[in-house]
Amino acid sequence: MKISYLLSYKTIVLVLFLILSGCSNKNITISEIKDPLENINRKIFHFNRSVDEKVISPISASYKKITPPLTRKAISNHIDWLDTPSTILNSSLQVDFKNSILASAKFLLNGLTLGFYDLDNGETVIKDRDFGSTLAKLNVPEGPFLMVPFIGPRTTRDFTGTILDTNITSNISSQDLNNLKLIEIPIDTIDTRARLSKTIDNIYESADPYIKLRSFYIQNRRNVVYDEKYSDLKNKKADEEFEKLLE
Amino acid sequence: MKNYWNKIKKIFVFLFLFISPLFVHNSYSDDIKNGEHVIQELIAKTQKHALETIHLSSEERSKKITPIIQQYLNLNFMAKATTGSFWNKATNDEKIKYELALLDQIINTVEEHLNTLATLSYKPIKSEFRGKKLLYITGVIEDKSKIKPPINLLWKLSKGKDEAIKILDLEIEGISLIRSHKSETMSILRKNKGDFNDLIGKLKIKK
Repeated sequence: MKISYLLSYKTIVLVLFLILSGCSNKNITISEIKDPLENINRKIFHFNRSVDEKVISPISASYKKITPPLTRKAISNHIDWLDTPSTILNSSLQVDFKNSILASAKFLLNGLTLGFYDLDNGETVIKDRDFGSTLAKLNVPEGPFLMVPFIGPRTTRDFTGTILDTNITSNISSQDLNNLKLIEIPIDTIDTRARLSKTIDNIYESADPYIKLRSFYIQNRRNVVYDEKYSDLKNKKADEEFEKLLE
Repeated sequence: MKNYWNKIKKIFVFLFLFISPLFVHNSYSDDIKNGEHVIQELIAKTQKHALETIHLSSEERSKKITPIIQQYLNLNFMAKATTGSFWNKATNDEKIKYELALLDQIINTVEEHLNTLATLSYKPIKSEFRGKKLLYITGVIEDKSKIKPPINLLWKLSKGKDEAIKILDLEIEGISLIRSHKSETMSILRKNKGDFNDLIGKLKIKK
C-alpha cells in the first residue's frame, strides 16, 4: 500500500516537473551531428542492413505486392492509431493541450474502427509526439548518434525516449491495447519498411549509405522535435551559407 | 530663390521615397512570379516526360530527362555547396567531372520516382524573398487518390548571372538534398584527403 502510494506520488511529481519545466526549447540543435561511436555504429549498421536485405525487405516486397494499396493504408492507419496514447500523454507534458485534445478525440473516434479507417478523413492534423520530443523540450541535449541493433538510428536522447515510451505508455494504456501492440510489432516493421522502401533503396544506392541514413534521420528528427523554430534557425544558417556561395 | 530650391528638393526626396519602393516591389514580385513559373514548368515537364516515356528502359528515360532537369538547376552552386572547402582545391577538370556526377545522381533519384510523380498533383503554397538573393517557394505534393499522405516541399532558388532563376536546393519534408549530399561527400573527401577522382568513382559505382 505504502509502495503504491509512493509510486503514484513520484509519478505526480514527475509529471508536474515535466509540465512546470516550461518546455522552453532553448537548446535547439542545428550543429553538426555528434558521432563519436562511428566505427561501432557502422558495424551495427552493416548488421541491420544484412537483416533488412535478407529478411525484412523480401517480406515487405511480397506484402506490397499482394496487399492492395487501400488495405495497406488501413493497416498503416491502425498502427498509427495504436501509437496515439503516447502522443496524447507527451502533448500534455509539452503543454501542447490543443494537440493532446485533438489526438484524444481522434483516438476515440477512430477507435470505433480500431483505427483501420480514418473517420476524420485526414482533416485533423495531429503532430506526433513521443518521449524523445518531450526530453528535447526539457532542454535535454541531443547526445551522440547511435545505431541500435534491430531498431536502427537514434540519438541518445531519442533512444532514452523510446525506452520511456515503451514503459510509461504501456502503464497508462489498457492491457488489451498493450497486447495488440506487442503482437503487431512484426506487422509494424513490415508496413514501415514497405512505406519507406524507395527512401531506403535510395540510401543503400548512395556512395556512403551510413552517412546518408544518419543525415536523413537527424534532419527528419530535428524537424519533428523542434517544429517551426528549428526550421527558422536552420534556414537562417543555410541562407548565410548560400549567400556567401552566390557572391 | 533658396526657398524655391528647397521646395523642389523636398518634392524630389518625397517622390524618391514613395516611388522607388514601388519599383523594388515590382521587381521582387516579378522574380517571385518567375520563380513560381520555373517550379510549375519543371513539374509539368517532368510529369509529361513520365507519361510519354513509360514504355522506355530506365537508361533511356534518364537520358531523355537529363536536359529537362539540367535546365532548371544551378549545378555549379550545388557542386560548391556539397563539397565545402574542398571545392577550391579541385582542378577545373575535377570540378566539371564532379558536376556531371552530381547531375547523374539527381537524375537517378528523379528517374526512380518518375512513375509516382506522374500520379501526383503539385499545389504551391507560399513564396517569399530571403535576404538579398534567395527565393523560397513552398508547396505540397498530393496523391490524387488520397492513399498516400501529402508531401511538403521547399524549393530554394536564386537568380544566376544570366538572370535566369534556377534551383539551388530542394527540401522534402524538411530534409535538404544539399545537406544530405554534403554530409556524404564531405565524409568521403575527409577520408581520402580531398581526392575528387576517388569521390567521383564512388558516386559512379553506386549507379
